[in-house]
Amino acid sequence: MATPAALPPLPFNPSRVRSYVLRLPLFTRLVLLAIIVFWLLELQTVWSVKQWGSLIPEEINIGTMYRLNTYPFIHFGFFHAFLNLLALTPLLERFEAEHGTLTAVALFFGPLSTFPAGAYILIERFVLHRNTEVFGASVWVFLLLGSEAIRTFKSNPYFSLGPYKIPTWTSPLFACGLVSIFVQNASLLGHLCAIFVGYLFGLGYLKVFVPPEKVLRWIEGKLNLLGRLPHYVSVDQKTFGRYGVLPTTTAGGERATPMSYLGSSQRLAAIRKLRSNPHFLFVHLPHILSFLCIVAGVVWLLLLPLNDYSRQTYISENALLPGQVHAYFSGSEQHIFRGYKKELEAILERQTLSEQDSRNDEFTPAYVHFLCPITLSAPVSDKVQSILRAAGLKVATQKYEYTSSGITHQGQNVYAIIQAPRGDATEAIVLVAAWRTADDELNLNGVSLALTLAGYFKRWSLWSKDIIFVLPPDSKSGTQAWIDAYHDMQPAFVQPLPLKSGALQGGLVIEYPFDHRFESLHILYDGVNGQLPNLDLFNTAVSIAGGQMGIGSNLQEMWDHNDSYEMRLQTILRGMVKQGFGYATGAHSSFMPYHIDAITLQPKGDGWQDEMALGRTIEGLCRSLNNLLEHLHQSFFFYLLMQTNRFVSIGTYLPSAMLIAGNFTIMAIALWLRTGYYFGSEQAAVKPPAASAGETNKQVAVSTEKSGANTAQQPAVKTDSNSIIERQLALPLTLVVGLHLLGLIPLYIFNNIHHQYYPTATYASIAINAILPIALAASLTRGLTTTLREQSQQSLLIKSFSLLVLGLFLSTLATLNFSLSFMIGLLCTPLSFVNRIDPRTASRPLRAVLAVAGLVLLNVLSPPIVLLVACRYVGVDVETVLTQAAFGWDVWGMWTQVVVWCVWWPAWVTGCALLGFSLF
Amino acid sequence: MTVLSLLSLLFLAAFSSLASANSDYHESLVLQPLPQSALLASFNFQSNDSQTSFNERHFRYFPRALGQILRHANTKELHLRFTTGRWDAESWGPRPWNGTKEGGTGVELWAWIDAVDDESAFAKWITLAQSLSGLFCASLNFIDSTRTTRPVASFEPTGTHAASDNLHLLHGTLPGEVVCTENLTPFLKLLPCKGKAGVASLLDGHKLFDASWQSMSVDVRPICTQTGECVVQIDQSVDIVLDIDRSKRPRDNPIPRPVPNEQLVCDTSKPYHSDDTCYPLESTSEKSWGLSEIFGRSISGSCPLTEGSTDGTVCLRVPHEREVRATEGAVEVKKPDGYTRCFTLESSTPFDLNIPEQEATTQVPLDEPVLRAERTIVGHGQERGGMRIIFDNPSDTHPVDFIYFETLPWFLRPYVHTLQATITGRDGLRRQVPASQFIKETFYRPAIDRERGTQLELALSVPAASTVTLTYDFEKAILRYTEYPPDANRGFNVAPAVIKLSPAGGGGGASHPIYIRTTSLLLPLPTPDFSMPYNVIILTSTVIALAFGSIFNLLVRRFVTAEEASAMRAQTLKSRLGGKLVALRDRVKGKTAKTE
Repeated sequence: MATPAALPPLPFNPSRVRSYVLRLPLFTRLVLLAIIVFWLLELQTVWSVKQWGSLIPEEINIGTMYRLNTYPFIHFGFFHAFLNLLALTPLLERFEAEHGTLTAVALFFGPLSTFPAGAYILIERFVLHRNTEVFGASVWVFLLLGSEAIRTFKSNPYFSLGPYKIPTWTSPLFACGLVSIFVQNASLLGHLCAIFVGYLFGLGYLKVFVPPEKVLRWIEGKLNLLGRLPHYVSVDQKTFGRYGVLPTTTAGGERATPMSYLGSSQRLAAIRKLRSNPHFLFVHLPHILSFLCIVAGVVWLLLLPLNDYSRQTYISENALLPGQVHAYFSGSEQHIFRGYKKELEAILERQTLSEQDSRNDEFTPAYVHFLCPITLSAPVSDKVQSILRAAGLKVATQKYEYTSSGITHQGQNVYAIIQAPRGDATEAIVLVAAWRTADDELNLNGVSLALTLAGYFKRWSLWSKDIIFVLPPDSKSGTQAWIDAYHDMQPAFVQPLPLKSGALQGGLVIEYPFDHRFESLHILYDGVNGQLPNLDLFNTAVSIAGGQMGIGSNLQEMWDHNDSYEMRLQTILRGMVKQGFGYATGAHSSFMPYHIDAITLQPKGDGWQDEMALGRTIEGLCRSLNNLLEHLHQSFFFYLLMQTNRFVSIGTYLPSAMLIAGNFTIMAIALWLRTGYYFGSEQAAVKPPAASAGETNKQVAVSTEKSGANTAQQPAVKTDSNSIIERQLALPLTLVVGLHLLGLIPLYIFNNIHHQYYPTATYASIAINAILPIALAASLTRGLTTTLREQSQQSLLIKSFSLLVLGLFLSTLATLNFSLSFMIGLLCTPLSFVNRIDPRTASRPLRAVLAVAGLVLLNVLSPPIVLLVACRYVGVDVETVLTQAAFGWDVWGMWTQVVVWCVWWPAWVTGCALLGFSLF
Repeated sequence: MTVLSLLSLLFLAAFSSLASANSDYHESLVLQPLPQSALLASFNFQSNDSQTSFNERHFRYFPRALGQILRHANTKELHLRFTTGRWDAESWGPRPWNGTKEGGTGVELWAWIDAVDDESAFAKWITLAQSLSGLFCASLNFIDSTRTTRPVASFEPTGTHAASDNLHLLHGTLPGEVVCTENLTPFLKLLPCKGKAGVASLLDGHKLFDASWQSMSVDVRPICTQTGECVVQIDQSVDIVLDIDRSKRPRDNPIPRPVPNEQLVCDTSKPYHSDDTCYPLESTSEKSWGLSEIFGRSISGSCPLTEGSTDGTVCLRVPHEREVRATEGAVEVKKPDGYTRCFTLESSTPFDLNIPEQEATTQVPLDEPVLRAERTIVGHGQERGGMRIIFDNPSDTHPVDFIYFETLPWFLRPYVHTLQATITGRDGLRRQVPASQFIKETFYRPAIDRERGTQLELALSVPAASTVTLTYDFEKAILRYTEYPPDANRGFNVAPAVIKLSPAGGGGGASHPIYIRTTSLLLPLPTPDFSMPYNVIILTSTVIALAFGSIFNLLVRRFVTAEEASAMRAQTLKSRLGGKLVALRDRVKGKTAKTE
């Protein structure tokens, strides 16, 4: 073996942990299992395990004595269970190894759980007259700690802390104190009872309850427990428990005697076999880990709606003071509102009449209507301007024009500024009322409301910030043009703004596209590229609408949210889909890239709230924003909302996407290691190549077993199999980088061609996707070096690089746009497990069949087909979606396409190409 | 050439006539209704003390507190401004006093100090700022070296100074300072009548600081006549623009509730007009107002010290045909310009003025401002930004020459090489031109981190009927953790720029320059999350250490099984020897351990 002398061992040795876990004795295992099972049971909502099994002093009677034994198994929440497990395992393992399994069973189902429970109930019920329920394995932890402390005290009575000597038996009391301080709801009394019983046990007063050894031996002998039960610690083995040590790497398997307590030598061999089985370490383990990561990621997401993992929303910024002011917008303002509305209505009617005359109702497809906003005629714009000017505002206009996918979007923004009295134009709030709502309905009421509010707000002198009223013709492009120009970042065909104010502190979008009264407010908050406004703004809106005005609020189109798990999950998923696609959900979305928090308020339903109530809500919101001394920064910018008053913050949900992204990284690193250190079928390569897969595996198993059997001797593996293998990096690197660059071509095409060619382009890309990997595989196989070994290494390297890049991108993306990273990650999961089928393990026809089947399956997950299927599922036209996407790219600065074409697609092509290699 | 506004002429006339008087006290109030129901009220109080009595510390009209400070700080000429709000030049026309008696938002202070060198001048300047800070209850003590500049061309001394004086001009601004009643009270205390009598009795903090725009100024300067008689003049003025509607609201019910339905003024000609639908009608008539209505009190007679002055004390600028009701006994003088009438106050007789609501037929003409300037921060992000300054010359015939002066805090680092100019004509076409075409002279003093700010003075010329846009990029510095103020996320104030229009160019032949100030700016700087640095630092370093450590290990280490490792070790002679040595050592060690 050519490797240099081994490096010093890691302080934390994973193999030790594994062997420790594998060696856990029987009763410990059962207890751990029971705790996990009870925790899992607690997740369902039908039957409350806690209610059933916890130790509730008032509930204890003859029929419910079982509680005295069940309570240590029950935990609330994952962390409680996990921490207790962590603390309990070593203590219990030690105890069992020392006393034997039977004794442990007898003691832990007998005195060691009933005594503390009894003591607790006595004190709690009859001395303190309270009824606090307790549960959790911490009682055993402290009990065992207590008995251990007594034992330590006997050998080593004091700690010396400077001049003071502290008896060592007090240490569990300190631990108990610390736990009570740091952990909420930790029962001090319960722990003290446990420690007390532990002391008694340690001092030997409970020896009476230990079953006599003779009896144990008799039972053991009769039932042949040692032979039947795995991991059973017999009465004879027990004394070794305390002094048993782990087999260390240097010791190898030579020191046979101390290991005998493990049981039969077969078990030992099995462990050693695992440790010395590089095939398992390099090939199977990464797959298992990757799979576990994916499963854990998905399960993690599914756990989020539970109460334990989500949080109640709260107002973080004290300056907001939502709902603390009286809103006066009512009374005669409603008359003015109706006046403005009638006035605008009359002009619009005249306009539509004249338009119908001129345009003779030519046939226009639905999407054109959807994509081309109605340009408002000059009279409407003039009327709006004159109203605003009469109210004493500074009015200005801005023309803009965008061209995307061959469609021109143009319009004229009208905006007006209420200059804050005594203000110095340093800060401003924006109110937007687009003529067309996000759903492309005429927002006449919203615009009239904004005009009325402008006149009303102008009379107040308390504004500390300017208030800007923006009236764009549509929700898609108008606000974007305005906000771009406000920061002087506008493209060429957008006019600069002639009138400006200070830094924008917040934005509110008003929509009211119907004439009847409304029931609740639907709050839109998603921004472009999945950016979100500060949670405080959303909370303020919910709190003012609900708490002050008595208007319910909804989010994510969840009209009947009954706060159940399913509804919460559905809300989260809808939010994630919107966030993942990253498109602008309303006029407010354009503000987010400039770090301006904005939301849209949409009245929904048929109720008894009128436009004045909406106006008062907006007044309250403006007053709250007006109170702000600093830019909104206190609360969360990364969150998933599951209900108007519940959310999960980034710290809780991020691991989900990170785990999924991590699965690619794990696989990539494993492949890299594998290409360098271990070469899968090296042993097989020296054998006749006809050997089938099963045989090879057997060979490996046999050889490793042999090496395990005659331990310290020369292993049976051939000397050249562990030599360093040169990695051929040029081709894999070129291929992966090249494919990522190649992604720019579809990115360009899908953002720049005329909208009517989008379906054609989609189908073409499907066809190309089907051919490209195979063509790539065919041409590369010819170019690849001839030896099978190098071919196989290079395909592994290609996969490694591709997955490394994917994992890197996705984990970075997860911090910016969690949902997109999660979705792409899920769609890419098969790529972790797709491999070039080794020609030595499968015959050619089998390979071909497998590869073709794999390719077909992978093709179903290709970007264009996923798009088609998603469109079919939602019932939207592909052309509309792609036009929208191109519009997003051109106008909103949306990055979703880049992720699709430059991250997902190259990884996907690589995966297909790997399968394609198997064909040749 | 733009005609100087009549208003300014009036001010200047009053100014010069008063300036000639010796050891005297004058006060005046000029009221002028402005469009959009605004009312400009300009209060001016001027007193002179002879230089000799000033030197002998014999103060008569001159406030002793201020006089002592000035003497202590060797200050020959002092200008102090307190301003809030912004002057709406678009609606209100040119500024009162041509902008010479106003400052940028917040507090602005500049002074000529007699000192031998720069260091001692700066020491005196700090003394002055600290003392004034106490006198005026303002945070003037925050004017330190980073906020102090020495303008080269933007300010000229207005007083007469001996050539032998070694004068240093220092200028400092506090753009974030909020001006309020605590500054007004000491200001009024400087007046000889202390706000108890005369026009100053109208100055009430509640009304004054409810104004849309408000500026207070204190100017001290020595003036010498040809004959060599010198006086020290203190000129205090308060200019406010009140919203008539807002000021008329009763003090116990200031909330602008929606008016009752029956008081709505509706356009009844609309076809949809009904009881519950109302298109509001714009009222064309002038609103009625009165002094006691607007200021909450009437003038309690004239200040006895002003007796003997012939000029009217309260002047009102409305067309002569407008009906004005003044208190009995006040002498009304109508000026020949057709718009001004002045009233002379009686001592100890309250004076009030009422203007009933009437149809406005003629208006006092307002001049077009000579130059419009706007300064904004553009761009976004935490690292870079840009400054955009727009100069608009409304005149169709004359170019405007002016000096543009800005001081930037040190954490805003401008890239002067990116200074670019675009010019937009009336045709709306934008043309990129070299900045040197407009910039005739540049004075640039770069910033030193934490020591001084950037000072930029440009002599510019904007051609007739065009708009010039200057832009430059800047970089935002990252402050030290402790340098952030408590409200770091609000942003950092950037002082307004000062524009001085040279008299020859736009001043209409007058010898006094016109000053314009832009609005102040708010600069968002990269701000750490102060609430959780501990968590963030600990967590990220742990994660990075763990991830880096384990991945690094995985990549550089070679993992072998225990058997392979021992086999490897057994193979080479060296390692075999090494192993033996280790075993030997272990044995020795083990023995010693046992004997212990």
